[in-house]
Amino acid sequence: MSRTRSQEDRRQALAGWLFVSPALLGLIVFLVVPIVLALYVSFTNWDGLSNPLGGDVKWVGLHNYQQLLTHDGLTRTTFAGALRNNFWFVLFVVPTQTALALWLAVLVNNKYLRGRGFFRTAFYFPSITSSIAITLVFLFLFQGGGAVNGILNWFGVKGPNWLADPRGVVHVWLSGVGVTKPPGWTQHSVMGQSLWDWFSGPSIAMMVIIILVIWTTAGTFMLMFLAALQNVNEDLYEAGELDGAGSWQRFRYITLPSLRPTLLLVLTLGLIGTWQVFDQIYLTGNNPATRTPAYMSFDQSFQNNHFGIGSAIAFLLFALIMGLTLLQRRLIPEEID
Amino acid sequence: MKSVRVQRIIGVAGAAAVLVTAAACGSSGPSKSSGSSSGGTGGSGGTGGATSGVTLQVLIGSSGDAETNAVVAAGNAWAAKTGNKVVVTPAKDLTQQLTQSLAGGTPPDIFYVDASKFQGLVKGNALADVGEKITDSSDMYPNLQKAFTQSGKYYCVPKDFSTLALEINTGLWAKAGLKDSDVPTTWDQLETVAKKLTGNGVTGLVMSDTLDRIGAFMRQAGGSVVSADGKTVTADSPQNLAGLQYVQKLAKEGVLKFPKQVDTGWGGEALGKGKAAMTIEGNWIVGGLQKDYPNVHYKVVPLPAGPAGNATLSFTNCWGVAQKSAHQAAAVDFVDYLTTVDQQMSFAKAFGVMPSRQAAKTQFTTEFPDQAAFVTGADNAFGPVGFPGFDAVQKDFDSKIQGLSDGSSDPKSMLSSLQKNATDALSNN
Amino acid sequence: MAAVRERRSPSRRVLMYVALGAFALLFLGPFVIQIATSFKTDPDATNHPLNIVPHPATLEAWKRIFGYSSDQPVPFGTWLRNSIIVATSITLLRVFLDSLAGYALARLKFPGRRAVFMLILGTLAVPNVVLLIPRFLVLKELNLYNSYAGMILPIAMDAAGIFLMRGFFMQVPQSIEEAARIDGAGAFRTYWDIALPLVKPGLITLTILSFQGSWNEFSFFLVATSDPKYDTLTTGLAKFSGGSLGAGNQFPVTLGAALLSTIPVAILFFIFQRQIVRSQMSSGVKG
Repeated sequence: MSRTRSQEDRRQALAGWLFVSPALLGLIVFLVVPIVLALYVSFTNWDGLSNPLGGDVKWVGLHNYQQLLTHDGLTRTTFAGALRNNFWFVLFVVPTQTALALWLAVLVNNKYLRGRGFFRTAFYFPSITSSIAITLVFLFLFQGGGAVNGILNWFGVKGPNWLADPRGVVHVWLSGVGVTKPPGWTQHSVMGQSLWDWFSGPSIAMMVIIILVIWTTAGTFMLMFLAALQNVNEDLYEAGELDGAGSWQRFRYITLPSLRPTLLLVLTLGLIGTWQVFDQIYLTGNNPATRTPAYMSFDQSFQNNHFGIGSAIAFLLFALIMGLTLLQRRLIPEEID
Repeated sequence: MKSVRVQRIIGVAGAAAVLVTAAACGSSGPSKSSGSSSGGTGGSGGTGGATSGVTLQVLIGSSGDAETNAVVAAGNAWAAKTGNKVVVTPAKDLTQQLTQSLAGGTPPDIFYVDASKFQGLVKGNALADVGEKITDSSDMYPNLQKAFTQSGKYYCVPKDFSTLALEINTGLWAKAGLKDSDVPTTWDQLETVAKKLTGNGVTGLVMSDTLDRIGAFMRQAGGSVVSADGKTVTADSPQNLAGLQYVQKLAKEGVLKFPKQVDTGWGGEALGKGKAAMTIEGNWIVGGLQKDYPNVHYKVVPLPAGPAGNATLSFTNCWGVAQKSAHQAAAVDFVDYLTTVDQQMSFAKAFGVMPSRQAAKTQFTTEFPDQAAFVTGADNAFGPVGFPGFDAVQKDFDSKIQGLSDGSSDPKSMLSSLQKNATDALSNN
Repeated sequence: MAAVRERRSPSRRVLMYVALGAFALLFLGPFVIQIATSFKTDPDATNHPLNIVPHPATLEAWKRIFGYSSDQPVPFGTWLRNSIIVATSITLLRVFLDSLAGYALARLKFPGRRAVFMLILGTLAVPNVVLLIPRFLVLKELNLYNSYAGMILPIAMDAAGIFLMRGFFMQVPQSIEEAARIDGAGAFRTYWDIALPLVKPGLITLTILSFQGSWNEFSFFLVATSDPKYDTLTTGLAKFSGGSLGAGNQFPVTLGAALLSTIPVAILFFIFQRQIVRSQMSSGVKG
């Protein structure tokens, strides 16, 4: 009996390893090994034209990281600009897409809504398209003399030359309220960019991408919120109504708390996604007004032959995203009370 | 249940197989390649590889359909003659695509090499040393040859060259009441006519926001980015400042705009679409306008002179052959074909560049008298900065040019950044 | 079902429909403009971008896409073929490998299972963008650069899919499998004949997500290939739209090609709408 057992166990163990090895092997070869290799390259000056493990390649230690973080030069200034662009991108996109997704979910969740399926489909459809296809459409719509400006014209507003306008929106707003020249104290430079530049807000060109990304991802998150909304206990609402709570109060004290896990998930996914934005940025070209660290990593490697710098940026980005995710989990804990 | 499962899987796999086979057999539309690959073995020694039955990959940085079509046509002709195949790819971003394919170990056999990128490619051992193998390669203009020679090796032959000149829309010129005598020969005159031509949705002058254009003004003021021996950076100089401030003045007055500001991609498009009355571009504008905007009439005049006299910028590319190419012999043969006087003249006809062969000079000036300004420009033309690593520095400088229009960029700080970054980059070589 | 039941006043209902209608317009409008633009001439598209009716209507852009025009052809056929080959292969491989691994993690006891589980879980933490350059390096070292294998193998399995399938397998009652085992069925037969059919919804979800993901994949294919003969609908379109210096704006062709590239996934979406929506709604793991 025990012999059959152990024979059985061995067979299962063998089967287990056999089943899991292809996928595991794939993940190791194409995920773990690349990361290790890239880590190595980030400490070298490999230029892409020879074998990275070969003799021509020089070990330079932390040189690449210094170029990005400490050495006052073009690389650091460019990296700082990319970080700044991405930071404002994240700041504008994540709250907006979360709020919009939630609002749409609430609207669509109405049992008596006619054409519920239609609306749900309409809002979700953009999410299934490829980022490239959609970005091309938006690049067309946001031309200086394009559709969006045409619509703004109907309302008597002269739209900016969107993709060609590198001014930060905060600067534009400030000049609208009379602050046109940066005050002296903002000229202090951090990582090669002045404080004034750090607080410029996203550029108007970046706003196109921001609108684009919100438009394409709101639908996905809307579905997640819909699921959560539909799991909210109806009795709670009835009790609330009986207690005399208005619809806003019911939302605030019943709906929102029940959505907490989903909200956390949406925020986390949003953060992770926005710090990696690349596809859309690629189509706007090497534009300092829209450049992000992900694009810079690609560009430094494939345009300037600085694979060492490109890899270093990748790891800095990795660290940043991990750090922010952990921080976010600290600040907004999973459970309340 | 078992049979349904199995059937389903077989069904899906089968459908997938059909799809894949259908797709693989499906036509991919008329491709740019041509010629029939013969079964001949060829192999005439030479630099290596067969010279028949070979497919050459050619990567070009095309200025437009006119240029692409011309190269494809040349490829077709040579392919038919030799029994090979030529596949031409116009790059979206030549530098990036070339770098990537070189890094990946599978570069195209032949590719454009811009004079400013030459040194970097030599340093990375990407170019085969084939200049001497081309028939009569010493017939090329000496300064062009020099641009593609390093350490005594003449790596690749220049394919053509261009200089910048001023192109004026004759219709808009006449409409503004201007005459031949009003053609500007000084900075002030340029400013005056630009003012006269601006209005009614037309901008007097539109030119690309890059050092490769406004650098002409810096040269005309007597400045340069690096010294003549290429060893010192001289970006932050009063002469360069004068040139940049002139550009700023015109931009602030609204008589000079940059292509994106009028929803176009480059000066030629702005001229063609009637958004600009004048533009500053090189020879390639001839082919571009001919093909895409044939109804626009224009004339080409030399750039005005600045405080230090006449100056313009010149550009040239060579036919680079990849060191890693398995078909170097065939590639050399093709480049040989592409650089005959006849072929260079037909390129000139197709998209307006000037032949790099001195033997073709007379023929060119006779056939294209209205492009005389480009030819005369060659006498005081300066090439681009070429040391490796300058690319990123120039990109950074270029990105600030458009800010001159609304004051968000300051010429002095642009130049000091340029000085700092260029010095940094040069020291890394 | 906890859809909100509200006695709304008529004016509030009207407002709600107006809001919904406005958003629907915003979300679908760009597609309408895209379709209209693909039937316009270049100047018409640039000068009258908002007109839904082309003036004059022309098939010029479509002719170029399908290769019937004298202008430089759009290599749409190549792009389509590559997208089909790559997306289909990746999807098939993912469904097979992910379900295999997911089953093993759910139901098979083997030494080191916990470690494997943690390792796969760990890979989920790596943001995609970090892998761009690294994957290029590995492909180059393995000589898989510029090849179909290089485009397919690296993403032929994914941790998210494995966990998705594991989740579904864990819901299969153990008793059924016990019965099969007692009958003498081996691990693979149990997996193939017994367990797989019971996780059909999971398989469908995985198929749809994998196909959608690989059809729309861009950044990975961008670094995995440089030879235009491997361009997919995404990389081809992206490189084409940049064009060359004098290419100008060819919006009708670009938008038309973009539209076509969306159609297969759109069809998939409409057929499997219910499953897709359900899977997204219950997803704790992004595909």
